[in-house]
Order: sequence, then structure tokens, then C-alpha cells
Amino acid sequence: MVTLTIDGKEVKVPQGTTILAAARTAGIRIPTLCYHGRLDPIGSCRMCVVEIEGIAHPMAACTTPVEEGIAVISNSDRIQRIREDSLKLILVNHPLDCPICDKGGECLLQDLVYEFGIDKVEYQAPKPARESLYATPLIRYWPDRCVMCLRCVTACREIKGIGAIEIKGEGYGSQVVVIDAEKCQSCGECLSVCPTGALTENLSRFKGRPWLVERVPTTCTYCGCGCQLELNVQNNRVIGVTTQEGKGVNLGSLCVKGRFGYEFIGSDERLTTPLIKKDGEFKEASWEEALTLVAERFGAIKEEFGPDAIGGLSSARCTNEENYLFQKFMRGVIGTNNVDHCARL
Amino acid sequence: MAEILFSSWGGEVVDNRSKEPQEYETASKVSLPEYFQQNEEIKALIGWYGIVLRTSEVNIVDLCRTYMEAIQEKSCGKCFLCRIGTKVIADTLGRMCRGKGRQADLEILARLAESISESSKCNIGQSGPLPLRHALEYFADDFALAANGGAAIPAGTYRSKLTAPCMDACPIHLDIPTYVECIKEGKFQESLDVIRERLPLPGVVGRVCVRPCEEHCRRTNLDEPISIKFLKRFVSDYELEKNKEPHYLVEAAEKTGSVAIVGAGPAGVTCAYHLARKGHQVTIYEKLGEPGGMSAVGIPDYRLPRQILRGEVEQVQKLGVTIHYDTQVGKDIKLSQLEADNDAVFIAHGAHLSSAMRVEGENDGYKGFITGVQYLLDINLGKDPYPEGKKVVVVGGGNVAIDCVRCSFRVNKPDVNLVYRRTRNEMPADEVEIHDAEEEKVVFHYLTQPIKVIAENGKVVGLQCIKMELGEPDESGRRRPVPVEGSEFIIDCDIVVPAIGQTIDLSMLEGIDKVETTRWNTIVVNEFTKQTENPKIFCAGDCQTSPGALITACAGGRTAAINIDKLINGLNLEAAEDDYFDKLFDVVKVYDPAEDIGFLGGRARYQLEMLPPDTRKWTFDEVEKGFSPQEAMAEADRCLRCYRVATIAVTEATS
Ligand SMILES: Cc1cc2nc3c(=O)[nH]c(=O)nc-3n(C[C@H](O)[C@H](O)[C@H](O)COP(=O)(O)OP(=O)(O)OC[C@H]3O[C@@H](n4cnc5c(N)ncnc54)[C@H](O)[C@@H]3O)c2cc1C
Ligand code: SF4
Ligand code: SF4
Ligand code: SF4
Ligand code: SF4
Repeated sequence: MVTLTIDGKEVKVPQGTTILAAARTAGIRIPTLCYHGRLDPIGSCRMCVVEIEGIAHPMAACTTPVEEGIAVISNSDRIQRIREDSLKLILVNHPLDCPICDKGGECLLQDLVYEFGIDKVEYQAPKPARESLYATPLIRYWPDRCVMCLRCVTACREIKGIGAIEIKGEGYGSQVVVIDAEKCQSCGECLSVCPTGALTENLSRFKGRPWLVERVPTTCTYCGCGCQLELNVQNNRVIGVTTQEGKGVNLGSLCVKGRFGYEFIGSDERLTTPLIKKDGEFKEASWEEALTLVAERFGAIKEEFGPDAIGGLSSARCTNEENYLFQKFMRGVIGTNNVDHCARL
Repeated sequence: MAEILFSSWGGEVVDNRSKEPQEYETASKVSLPEYFQQNEEIKALIGWYGIVLRTSEVNIVDLCRTYMEAIQEKSCGKCFLCRIGTKVIADTLGRMCRGKGRQADLEILARLAESISESSKCNIGQSGPLPLRHALEYFADDFALAANGGAAIPAGTYRSKLTAPCMDACPIHLDIPTYVECIKEGKFQESLDVIRERLPLPGVVGRVCVRPCEEHCRRTNLDEPISIKFLKRFVSDYELEKNKEPHYLVEAAEKTGSVAIVGAGPAGVTCAYHLARKGHQVTIYEKLGEPGGMSAVGIPDYRLPRQILRGEVEQVQKLGVTIHYDTQVGKDIKLSQLEADNDAVFIAHGAHLSSAMRVEGENDGYKGFITGVQYLLDINLGKDPYPEGKKVVVVGGGNVAIDCVRCSFRVNKPDVNLVYRRTRNEMPADEVEIHDAEEEKVVFHYLTQPIKVIAENGKVVGLQCIKMELGEPDESGRRRPVPVEGSEFIIDCDIVVPAIGQTIDLSMLEGIDKVETTRWNTIVVNEFTKQTENPKIFCAGDCQTSPGALITACAGGRTAAINIDKLINGLNLEAAEDDYFDKLFDVVKVYDPAEDIGFLGGRARYQLEMLPPDTRKWTFDEVEKGFSPQEAMAEADRCLRCYRVATIAVTEATS
């Protein structure tokens, strides 16, 4: 264990802990923008710089491991100036489109600018001509809103192991670009870690503000993994899917289906009652009617041709437990071993 | 060196602006050469440690503008303050130079310069605005004028260059900060691509390089240098382990030709690699049956497993390079023939003759007297040089001598001695190598000079030596050893291996025009192009520099390839701007071991696991195990990314 002080408070943490993590265990807040709990520290925003007694240079708390006996000062006039300058520089040419930004209300940049009370920016630079070089049918990139924190690039590489996007270019003209479009799975990991509205979901654009939606925690129905997600519901309509960092078996990650495949829920074409074919045409029926019909027919077929005339196929969208029950039903109730699973086909 | 009008380099302020020339103070932290290229005078320098002005002709605002534009151009975009802040600064300075300055600009420049240098992620942002801060402080009047609607300032002529301490020290100038950063980010293949832009032998160099880069690593000022060499080895091992096929950038030149290369050592192979990537037809003629030169038959396998070397040379062959083995130029084929049949010839046949010790008995052909080069050659070809001999004395203090002693155990010679005429402190061999040899229990005889090889019946039975003591320093600065009278003694032994140096066999040059040699038997070339006086013949590596380091040989091979390509394409063979910057950086140092970095340090470098001394000393198995991906990434994370830019103001020479 290493002992240090932060703002005079003694903290003991294991060797290798960063100053930021040490501060968090001590309940001391150091502002961050690019830091994300699931990613290796990036160190792009410099919001977390702190002073250390006897060390001339401010150090980034997120990337600096603690040392025995150091005295960290989490804020000072100098540190405040640096943090303000970092934010002010981000605001040079940042579009004022918070009113139409899907992230408005839960944007980390908005929060920090508010916290630091930045009401004017004296710095100027011509607007860089950035193209939107990075988009999929499901994900939209707004280059002007991008602060280049590199969370997306890091998440695609570290969490997904893909590395489809990278930062390219020089200086102020650098931007996030796709380096390998083939590799991108449109999984939206990048989008989920973006602290600003620079990456937004195409399907949900302009459908509802974050503070108006209700977030209903549930389990993804697409496969048996059991990923935890939140349906964003407004007026009884699902208008998006979000996750919470580190939550559930998926730790907040989803695949393209889980994140974007929710429109079927409110689709007009979706069946809401069972259908029974009568005189060559499907007619709406009650569950009672439908289940009775199926039970009768299974019984009759089994009577006449034996249980092996019936086979069962279950779905990868069921949980393990449901699949277990299904084979139990086929074997115990129907009496056949003719049971299989779509994932094997 | 001409006088300096003003300097803030390294925090030392020398201000002669209001003095008469005879009262000028001199700057102790920097000197500035008078010329950049032959016809260009250096008027000012702005860079990582400050500003140096030679005359008041240079406009300080314009100098800062150019420099900050260069910084902005080199900013990688990975942190906020440098990416945007240096743009704001460069633009503001640009406006001031156009005569459109505003009073508020001064405050903006000062505040941003401070914030950026205090908090940027890497040294571009940290060192970039530093000289601007000096300028604002010491040239306040010039800035005030420009901020208050002064006239437009005519743009001067400038040259800028990006460098880094490690990168500058590396003879082939590998882009170390970038390849290390790629490893930190887990992009191992990209890291290799960066290395291979210049060097085809990452696995070899990643094991045995003498690593001048690490000696100039800025992290040393905080704790310990980055393990630059082993990180290179790591990415190369990773590719092998994952069975990935390397990919190379091949871009054929407009005109291609045929080139003959003498010697498949590091210089020859590197030259072939670069020429092949440009589409030229390359044939290498190699005396031995094996590629690699001294890295194969000098450096022992426990430091550099042979399959690593062979594998990397094979990759070069896959690019279309032909190697004729067992073909000695000068004997099996004449150099004049190669000259006649090809567009260019590159000579890189190394230094394979052993230097004489000048002691009695060394030329008498005794059994058991074996030169270091021959001793290692035999061992590396799988032979015991003299099975009868069991007690070995090696003479010399360099890496070759250490290889000879350490190899002796491995061919089952348990009694191993090393004789060196100075002390351990003066030994030129790599510290790590000396330490490893000590661990393996070599007996070191320091301050000992051989005087006579003693033989009976034509066989070595001992080496007569004399004790030495250190006297006055010689011209190399090392204290000269002088014999202690009457201190002669004999070391009993049956093998004596002189390993005090190698010289160059020049016999193949017979009948060749205009290839000059020096009195040290090296071949004379143009330092920038590696071309000899004979325009078709180029030369580099040990035979041009005298025995040196592998990476220097590779660097020479690369330079020769670039210029052979130019020759074939009818272009002028002139030194490039980069070459002149290299010269400049010999004087204006990129690395200052005394720099106080002012960071929190204390992160020790990751060490490689090694086989224990008493197991390893009897086998040729590789001694050091490589990094795991996690270790490599953690080690790479220690890198401070010390990129920095220098800008100089130049004017055409008046005389
Ligand atoms: C024992 C030993 C250990 C060393 N250890 C290190 C180390 O740890 N790190 C390091 O950086 N450097 C080391 N060096 C130095 C390094 O190996 C050399 O500087 C480097 O190999 C020089 O490369 P080169 O291509 O110029 O010449 P060489 O490597 O000598 O290659 C020349 C090639 O030309 C061939 N040749 C010679 N004559 C002819 C001819 N007439 N016709 C055709 N072919 C010919 C030779 O057979 C050889 O293959 C060591 C050297 C020795 C001897
Ligand atoms: S959608 Fe997924 S794969 Fe595509 S860039 Fe984003 S994180 Fe990478
Ligand atoms: S798109 Fe979002 S996550 Fe990616 S760099 Fe821009 S702001 Fe950061
Ligand atoms: S060059 Fe260095 S200081 Fe500049 S943006 Fe990149 S990481 Fe930041
Ligand atoms: S810390 Fe990194 S960039 Fe700096 S000198 Fe060392 S290896 Fe080079």
C-alpha cells in the first residue's frame, strides 16, 4: 500500500493506483472529461491536472500513478486556469446547437462548462473544414460537436478489439475518421461512450429529450446472453436504448441488434394477438382459443402417428432456462427426442 | 562560432543587445554554428529550450509565428490544449505579423502559452510555447508594437524540423516516440510498420542494438530510460508468434535499375530492402553460406537466435532480392565485373580481419592461437574451434571480447579468462554484457597487458602478461595504462584469443578506379550520400566507418539505397535539409542530461526475465525472454513522447 495526501487528507491505496482513483476513494472530486471507467486512461482533456508539492509541473491525475508520501493539491488558481482554458479552447467554434442536440441535458461538456461558469471565450481560430468521414446507417457523426476526447477510438479498440476508427490529420485539422469501414460492426460502442452529442443514433434523432424519457431497465431479448439495457420510453413508445457503464454481464456494451433493433416494439406490423387460419385466411383469435387448438392437434397427431411425428425447434433468443424448459416439455410432455435449436442450424 | 546577441537557451539569459561587441557575454548552454547549408547563414534559433538570436535583423514576432505554426502542424491532436491552443497562438501571431494586431492579443498569448506548456500531454505542447514565453518577456517592445497596429512584418526565411532526443540519437532515426506510442495503444502491427519504414531487421536490432537512443532517453532524467530496444523486439516477436505475414510498402520508382551488393551483412541487407521496395533489381554476393554478416557469425546465438536473423533476411528476399551465397567478390567474381554489369554497386563487406596485438609469437602459427573473429565464426558455424583446448584467455575489452569469453563456456571450456589493459570503468563493452559475463563467472584480469604467447611443440601453453597502472589521460580522455616494471607473470592456458579489433580487407578494390581509402583501411565516401569518388560505387557499414554498431551499418545501407535510387533516376545527389539538421543537432543538443523535467517520476522500467547464470552459460539458448503484451504496453506507457521542434532563421551568405 502507498500512503499519500490529497488536499491534506491521508489516503492509502495499492501501488499502481492512479491519483484520480485515489481521489475518488477519498471522496474528492477531480473533474474529468475524457476519462471513462471502462477504458485505459486517455489523457486528452487535461481537465484532471493536479499539483503535487515539490513537483514543478502539473500532472494529469488519470495517468499518473501515486507515489509514497506525495502531497496532491486537487485545485488551485493555476489548476483552475488550466481547466478553464481547456474548456474555453473546446468552445472555440463548438456549434451552439445544444437546443437540437440529442445529447442536450446529459452532455458532459455542457455540465463542465456550466460548472466552471464559462460565459465568454476570448480565443479565436478559423473553423476547421471537417468532413463527416465517419458514419454508418445507424450512427451519425457530427464533426463540429466532436471534442476529440478519443473515448470512441479507444472503446472501439479496447472494448471491441476492432479499431475501425482512428484520429488522423495534423493539429487543429485532425479528426476522427474510419480507417477500416469493413471492420465496423455498427455496434455503437463508440456512441455509447461519447460524452457529447458528436455521435448520435440515427433512428432516435429528434424523438425525445433525455429528461423527458423514462429509462426502463430490462434484459435484451435478442439472444441468451442476457445483456442489461434500458429502454428509453416516451409516451409509451420506445425511442432508444441506452446502457449503464459497467452494469450487467455486458458491462454496458451491446451488439448492433441490442442497441438499434428496437423499432419492432412499436411497429404497426407487429402481431398483437394469435392468428388462426380459417378458410384459407388468418383470423385474429384469443390466446385461449389458440392454445386449445394447438394442444388438441398435438394430442391428435401424437395419438395417430406417435410422439416422434412431432419435433421442436427452439430459439437463440430464449434464455438457457427457457431452452431447458422447452426440451423438458418436448421430452416429458410430448415424449420425443426430436428437439433442436436454431443456433445449431 | 559567431557571437550571440541574445540567448534564453536552457534558462540562461544572455542579453547583449545594449552592449558593445567587445563586451558581449557568451552563452554557456548553447552554441550555434554559423552556417546551415554551405550558402546559408544561421541568424536565429528557436526551439525546445529557448531562443538564440545572432542579429537584430530577425523579427522576433515573425520568428515566433513560424515556429508556432510548425508546432501546430506537428501537434498530433490527442490533447485539447495543444491541438487548439497552438492554433489560436499561431493565428494570433499571424495576424500580428500582417499588421492587424490588437492590444488584447498580448494577454491571450501569455495566458495560453502558460496553460499549454503546463498541461499538455506530450513535449510538443510542453516545450512548444516555452520560447514564446521567453520572447514575450524579453522582447516585450517588439510584441507591443505588433499588437498596436505596427506595420506588416515581412516574412523571413526559415527551416523547421521535428525531432526527439531518442530519435536524434538513433543512427537510422527511427520514429521511436510513435512506435512506442503504438505499443502503448496496443497497435503492435502499426508499430512494426513505423519501424520498417526505415529498418528491415526489428527482431535483430531489438535484441542486440547498442541503443544510443536509450542513453539519450529523456525519461532517464526522471527515473530510468524507456526499454526502447526490447519494445522493438516485442513487436517483432508478437508478429512471429501470431504467424502474421509482414506487409511492406512497395512503391516503384519512375526508373528502376540493377544493383549489385557486396556482403549480406546488416548494411547490405538494409540497402537491398530499400532498393527492392523501390522496384530495383538487387543481387547480393555473399562470401559465406549464410546471411547476416557479423550479426550471424560474430554475435552468438544466445544473444541473437539464428532463426530470427534468417527469417528477417528471408522477408527481404521475398521482396525480390537475390542472394548468391559462397561467392567471394574479388575471388569468385571481380568487382570490376559487377561495376560493368550494373547501374550501381554497393560495397558492404564489413571488417573481418583481426587486428594484431603486436606481441611476440602471435604470427608463429601456434595451435590454440585463434583470432576473435575466427573463434566466433567457428562457434557460430557449429564447430568447436579447438576441441583440445580447455583453458581460454581472451584479450580485449570490447563487446567482441565479451562474446568470446561467454561463448567459451558454451563450447564446454570451463576455465575462461579475460585480459584487459585498463580497468572495468574504461571497458568499452556494454555494461549489461560485462555484468552478465561476471555472473557467468569469467575471470577478469584488469590492468594486464599481454607481452608474449608461450608455446611448446607448436601449441599454446600460456600467455605472458605484465601488470599495468593508469597514468596521464591520453587524447581520448582515458587514462593511459603504463607497465609496472618487473611485474611480468604467466597465465597458463591452451587457447589465446586476441579480440582487440578488426580491420578491413581491401584486396577486392584492386583495379577499381577512384575508390579511395584511408590509413585506417576504411573506404572514403561522401558523408551524406555514401557515394565514393567513383559515381557508380557506394559504400557503408563497418568497411566504411571502421568496426562499429549494427544500427550504424543499417543506417549507412539505407542512405546508400536512397542515393542509388536517385542516381538511377538521374537526380542530383545532394545532401537533404534533414542531413543539415543532423549536423546542426550535433552542436545544438536535442537531449540535455541535466534538464530538470519537473514531473513526478519513480516508475522503474520493466525488466526482462533471464535464464539463471549457471543454466544459461553452458547452452546457446536465448538468455533473455521477451515482454508479454501487458508488460510491453505498461513499459510503453512510461514514454514521455519528447517530440520537439527547432526552427532556424537563415539568410543567404553574403560572402
Ligand atoms: C563478435 C561481435 C559482436 C558484436 N555485437 C554487436 C552488438 O551486440 N550490437 C551491435 O550493434 N553491433 C555488434 N557488433 C557489430 C556489428 O555486428 C557490425 O557493426 C555489423 O554487423 C556491420 O555490418 P556490415 O554489414 O557493415 O558488415 P558485416 O556484418 O561484417 O557483413 C559483411 C558481409 O560481407 C561478407 N563479405 C566479406 N567479404 C566479402 C567479399 N569479398 N565478397 C562477398 N562477401 C563478402 C561477409 O561474409 C559478411 O557477411 C558485433 C560485432 C562482432 C564482431
Ligand atoms: S460502431 Fe462499433 S465497430 Fe463501429 S466504430 Fe463504433 S465501436 Fe467500432
Ligand atoms: S466522437 Fe465523441 S467520443 Fe469520439 S472523440 Fe468525438 S466527442 Fe469523443
Ligand atoms: S502533440 Fe502532444 S501535446 Fe500536442 S496534441 Fe498531441 S499529445 Fe497533445
Ligand atoms: S521518453 Fe520516449 S520520447 Fe522521450 S526520449 Fe525516451 S523514448 Fe524518446
